[in-house]
Amino acid sequence: MKQQTKLTQKSESVVEQHSQPQAATEFGSSDELLRFDAAQTTVPPEIAERLKHSATDITPAKAGWFKRLFN
Amino acid sequence: MNEPVERESVTGKTPAGGLASGFAAIYDEHSHAIFYLALRYLGDPEKAQDATHDVFLKAFRKLDQFRGDASVRTWLYRIAINHCQNLCQSWHNRNVHSNADDSVWENSAAKTDSPLRVLETKELGQRIQKALDAVSDEYRLLLLLVADEELSYEEIATLVGQTGDAVRGKLHRARKAFAAHFEKTV
Repeated sequence: MKQQTKLTQKSESVVEQHSQPQAATEFGSSDELLRFDAAQTTVPPEIAERLKHSATDITPAKAGWFKRLFN
Repeated sequence: MNEPVERESVTGKTPAGGLASGFAAIYDEHSHAIFYLALRYLGDPEKAQDATHDVFLKAFRKLDQFRGDASVRTWLYRIAINHCQNLCQSWHNRNVHSNADDSVWENSAAKTDSPLRVLETKELGQRIQKALDAVSDEYRLLLLLVADEELSYEEIATLVGQTGDAVRGKLHRARKAFAAHFEKTV
């Protein structure tokens, strides 16, 4: 019985820990908030995959331009 | 002012590796900025994916028109802004916001220098989107552009077709309006 009480007390303390309010995160400005949001955002890999397929239709003459650009 | 790009840096090793290496490097460097702008400007992940794809495909096709008098990033932003604005105009599914709506929030108690407190970061993206949707298209665009630390005020001014001073003034009001709307999303 005593052991059961102990368990109950333990589980109650776990519940208490979970229900404790989280510390607030503060952002100094909207710029900072949006930068944080941007950092959490990942680019879906599907875009590059689609782009790769779409770009195969581009004519070689046009594709030659970026070679000149970065040579 | 052009950005130097190592042609061989990403060949065959990136998701965009199937593209010619120079353009793959451009995609790798700037796709995050363009996708984030599209995501928060349009407010829809699927539309943002489509828009990012279309923007880079357009850039790929138009590389012969890139004169190099702006940075590649600014040039891509220009294409992205035009693309997103055209989409918004054609959809007609976004609520129309007027500057009168913004003025209510510009005169509110919210201050641009007050810290924004967040208890739960899990749904932060949704709150940010709600606040961005609540401000005008012009303010939303300015807020998103200034969040990119690689852009100068002058570059932002060029992108939105206004003077640097006008951009600074509008940004002050945009931040205030955003902060007021953000506080309301709790």
